[in-house]
Amino acid sequence: MKYASLKKTNLNNWLEYLKKKAKFYAPRKKENLFVFRPVKDVADICLEYIPTILPPKKYYFPQKERLLRFRAQPFKTAKAIDKFEEFILFGVHTCDIAGIQCMDVVFRDGPEDPNYLNRKDMMTIIGIECLKYCDKYANCASMGNHIPRGGYDLMMVDIGDEFIIHINSEKGEKLVKEVDFIKEATESEMVTLGRIREEKNEIFKEEFYASLPKVYESFDKSFVSEVWKDLGKKCVGCGNCTAVCPTCYCFDVSDEMELNLNDGLRYRIWNSCQMDDFAKVAGGEDFRKGRESRQRHRYYRKFKYPVDKFNRYFCTGCGRCTRTCMAGISLIDTVNALTPVSID
Amino acid sequence: MKKQSKPRLAFFDFTDCEGCQLQFANLGGTLLELLELVDIVNFREIISEAAEDYDIAFIEGSITTDNDVLRIKKIRDKAKVLVALGSCATIGGVNGIKNRSSLELAKKIVYGDKASTINTIKTMPVHEVVSVDYTINGCPVYLPEVVSVVKCLLMGKPYVVPNYPVCSECKMNENVCRYEKDQECMGTVTRAGCNSWCINNGNRCYGCRGLVDNPAADAQKDILSKYGLKLEDVLKHFTLYNDSMGEKYDQEFK
Ligand code: SF4
Ligand code: SF4
Ligand code: SF4
Ligand code: SF4
Ligand code: SF4
Repeated sequence: MKYASLKKTNLNNWLEYLKKKAKFYAPRKKENLFVFRPVKDVADICLEYIPTILPPKKYYFPQKERLLRFRAQPFKTAKAIDKFEEFILFGVHTCDIAGIQCMDVVFRDGPEDPNYLNRKDMMTIIGIECLKYCDKYANCASMGNHIPRGGYDLMMVDIGDEFIIHINSEKGEKLVKEVDFIKEATESEMVTLGRIREEKNEIFKEEFYASLPKVYESFDKSFVSEVWKDLGKKCVGCGNCTAVCPTCYCFDVSDEMELNLNDGLRYRIWNSCQMDDFAKVAGGEDFRKGRESRQRHRYYRKFKYPVDKFNRYFCTGCGRCTRTCMAGISLIDTVNALTPVSID
Repeated sequence: MKKQSKPRLAFFDFTDCEGCQLQFANLGGTLLELLELVDIVNFREIISEAAEDYDIAFIEGSITTDNDVLRIKKIRDKAKVLVALGSCATIGGVNGIKNRSSLELAKKIVYGDKASTINTIKTMPVHEVVSVDYTINGCPVYLPEVVSVVKCLLMGKPYVVPNYPVCSECKMNENVCRYEKDQECMGTVTRAGCNSWCINNGNRCYGCRGLVDNPAADAQKDILSKYGLKLEDVLKHFTLYNDSMGEKYDQEFK
């Protein structure tokens, strides 16, 4: 079975089933925004949501993660956690799945990151395809991430009274086969899916003026540009844009002792290029002074460096950085400012 | 065999509300664990004795009189390690508001016709008068950070005070940003370390831990203005806790 069909009236039954299968995380409301949370009551789950404050990366790359246990006298070290629990991420947007694919590339690149990979092994991703824009900040169509491009176990599409579920892994197949109310999709349902995808093509349009290769080219020529000066003046350096980005993966490592001053834990904690001291080294030299060059670096880490290194853009188009910036710095406007429309 | 004596801790308060000492007393179970490692020999809020023989001095409050200056110098001479506890001690804190006007005017406002009998000098954080070994910011101090600092000082390691803004902790806690709700917040330029305590509890950041080393004062002014604040209100936001740190934002505002 490649495509299955789930009647919406059976959705809650499926959710109850999934909830028992593994740790189960899904989007829910938090004040006027949304967050991924462990599901207690399936009625709390919100499938119509704009990208959550933090992307689901907090589950495979936690904000503060234990790495190592140690003892000072007599000296001894041991891995803090070598076993992770199975978990299901439910209702993940295609942009955030692209984020997971980016993290995969980074953490699999040698030396591999065992903590990430062990968690990733335990993860099942059930996505949901967006049929309309979450809001005006998204640039997923320019990045090509508004449509499913793999990286998930199951992908749901709302076709009215049913969800069509694309089965993309054995793990995923089990989760639809074990319940009797999910059936193989019928031909007419597949026709409806085709029609809905065509309608979607009319809604999603590339958000950047320029095509992606042209955007990439513009970064080649824009290292010195008024655009960065302007950003540097506006930016407060709060680090929100990097914390919320599904492809930002920088961290710091620190040791914390217990009160007996003999046992301790080593942690890694999110950190980012927007922090004032990020590129400071011993002796006080700062390799990336000023908010202007730090903002520039953030953009180059999305549209230039990873393309050269991994052949992959590290912007998923989720729009979170723009949504979260109290200074009103917009990714779409910034990229457009680098690629003025040429009349040709 | 004689047991190796534990380091002796003493607490002293200057111009403040004694709230940070109260926080320390609130350590509860952790305080008992701590007493395995140290002796507390002088702490008005929890013990009646007041020994004059100590190794580590915790200083709460800002320096605001000539007598304070003499007293803190004496304590510094005796103590092997000196810790500034709470924002009054580390950055001047709310007491710094006094520095906005001339001393004469400030005295007059507070003491009226008794003004001439009062000795007062400009509000200073402790490090402006004597050297400080450890800094614990906050109004009041955040207990998990207090514990971290105490561990560092017992191990003889420096404590690295964060130099990134509260926002970075706030986002890790996945809070809805106050600006999202059209409320102003100083987390953008305020030194982290409190785990965005206030925002986690539905409030906003007032900047109690002082500004980061290199605050984007201009950009923050733009943000606050965009959210409808007038320049004098913006200045009030910056100076509520930070007037003694004025040089950090003076150029932009004064
Ligand atoms: S969220 Fe905005 S103000 Fe904060 S660091 Fe990013 S660009 Fe700068
Ligand atoms: S750069 Fe911005 S839009 Fe792109 S993935 Fe990161 S948060 Fe999303
Ligand atoms: S950015 Fe695109 S893919 Fe992501 S939630 Fe918005 S519309 Fe969906
Ligand atoms: S609520 Fe305040 S501290 Fe939190 S992100 Fe917003 S501005 Fe920063
Ligand atoms: S959130 Fe701001 S006001 Fe509250 S404790 Fe932290 S620094 Fe102080």
